[in-house]
Amino acid sequence: MLVGPSGCGKTTAMRMVNRMIEITEGDILLGGRSVRERDEADLRRHIGYVIQQIGLFPHRTIGENIATVPTLLGWNRTRIAARVDELLDLIGLEPDIARRYPAQLSGGQRQRVGVARALAVDPPLMLMDEPFGAIDPINRDRLQNEFLRLQARLRKTIVFVTHDIDEAIKMGDRIAVMREGGHLAQYATPAELLAAPADDFVRDFVGADRALKRLALQRVRDIELHRAPLVGEDGAARSDGTPDIAYPLVVDDQERPLRWAGAGAGDVHRVELDDTLRDALSGLLQSDVQYGAVVDVEGRVAGIISIDLIHDLVQREEPVG
Amino acid sequence: MDPREGGGMTTSLAFLGVFGDGIDFLVRERQGRGGGNVGGLQQTGELLWGHIKLSIAAMLAACAVALPVGVVLGHTGRGGFVAVSVANIGRAVPSIALIFVFFAWFGAGFFNVMLALALLAIPPILTNTYVGMREVDRELVDAGRGMGMSAWRLVRSVELPLALPLVLAGVRVSAVNVVATATIAPLAGFADTLGDPIINAGVYGDEGRVGAAMLVALVAITTELLFAAAQRAVTPEGVKLSRGGSRQRSHFTNRRVPTTP
Repeated sequence: MLVGPSGCGKTTAMRMVNRMIEITEGDILLGGRSVRERDEADLRRHIGYVIQQIGLFPHRTIGENIATVPTLLGWNRTRIAARVDELLDLIGLEPDIARRYPAQLSGGQRQRVGVARALAVDPPLMLMDEPFGAIDPINRDRLQNEFLRLQARLRKTIVFVTHDIDEAIKMGDRIAVMREGGHLAQYATPAELLAAPADDFVRDFVGADRALKRLALQRVRDIELHRAPLVGEDGAARSDGTPDIAYPLVVDDQERPLRWAGAGAGDVHRVELDDTLRDALSGLLQSDVQYGAVVDVEGRVAGIISIDLIHDLVQREEPVG
Repeated sequence: MDPREGGGMTTSLAFLGVFGDGIDFLVRERQGRGGGNVGGLQQTGELLWGHIKLSIAAMLAACAVALPVGVVLGHTGRGGFVAVSVANIGRAVPSIALIFVFFAWFGAGFFNVMLALALLAIPPILTNTYVGMREVDRELVDAGRGMGMSAWRLVRSVELPLALPLVLAGVRVSAVNVVATATIAPLAGFADTLGDPIINAGVYGDEGRVGAAMLVALVAITTELLFAAAQRAVTPEGVKLSRGGSRQRSHFTNRRVPTTP
């Protein structure tokens, strides 16, 4: 994930990988082999390439567009047709779309076709230059999620260029923040980047809301939750572990939370294990409560979350200064 | 002068006046002023064929030079300005002047006038080919290169198909110019074109001049229409869809498809 302001050289860095820009100094190794030793065309055919404008050939059908690299590699007709069908299925488009032209597709569909075209010969490495840059924000979010699901299945190595730090944090495993003049400001995982920006430039670039961004990266199931004493409707204690908060929670016989015990106690605010901490915090603030019961998919209590717990978490990982 | 001097004319054409006389000349042989027979379908056919032959030869020569040069310059993007400028200076020199210059090297005849016409035809073809190639979206070229297309492959399957309508527009302009200008061929000593009756009215008579002029105009218009049709024919389907308001053209597919992003 290469991220940085415009003109910082992130696209240049990416384009050196498939030698669209020649390397003048240093080297790039793919699978231990220098890209400079390899035939340019052959190298590029085995690296997926997606650019911001997608660059679908307007005079060729969707099928022909997807078949670009297979055709260059001399695949036979039947193999190409089968691969096109397979890829359209992968990106969730109907097979008969293969006969249409790019002009007949929506921006989102074109974007997906661009990804399919880059995946055509199943390259181990993909280069993506702001692939979602030309898509409106609502569709962008959807396409990003779709792509994350796709990537979870394909497990490609992807060099992804973006100027959008939120996109980088959302999509990236490791992020290289670049600064004007092609300098690498920091190379870290999204969590490290948010918790410990290397310098003022990165701190600024990551944004004032980086605490919230960090919370968006973590899910409730990832953190250690409080345990409340659980009591049945009949008043019998049901908890097995040692509770670390004092407020008993009334649960039904399936251990589903019903209400807080004690006079004047209100309804239980529920948080799901798969919620991000950011959503959990937002829910707690909105419901004007300190504590929420975390429930699993069956609705059973998995622990207790509190605003203080989230606060401590942010503080603990934030280096002083 | 009596326009009917060369012979009687069919009454059905009389209402066309001098144009009727011209048409009459083209279809019916008559005694020329120089003594021999002029006009009639056979001679018209010969002149027409000579005219077309000369025009095609000039166009082929022009295309043989302008197309490859335009494609190479357009693809590389280098030296295009110089080439287009030189070609345009060439266009500023009248063909008739060229013909007389060429007398010095090639003497009179078919080759001389063919060369002059080819030089006339080159600038529009070269300019349009160059511009057509340059106007192909850079991101398409980038995408093609990035997927490992060779230069030749990129030209053949991306740049040229997309540039073709513009290339053909240049050929169309040139072809019409050449067909019209081929009438000066007799001045270069190649008499077998429709220019002969126009230039040598002393031999063919005024009706010969009018008839030949009308036929030249007809050939030029036909050329224009033919190339206009060809231009439409080479415009890729997918490009027509993106250009001509895809909603009106949705009949190309049997299902309505979303066209806006």
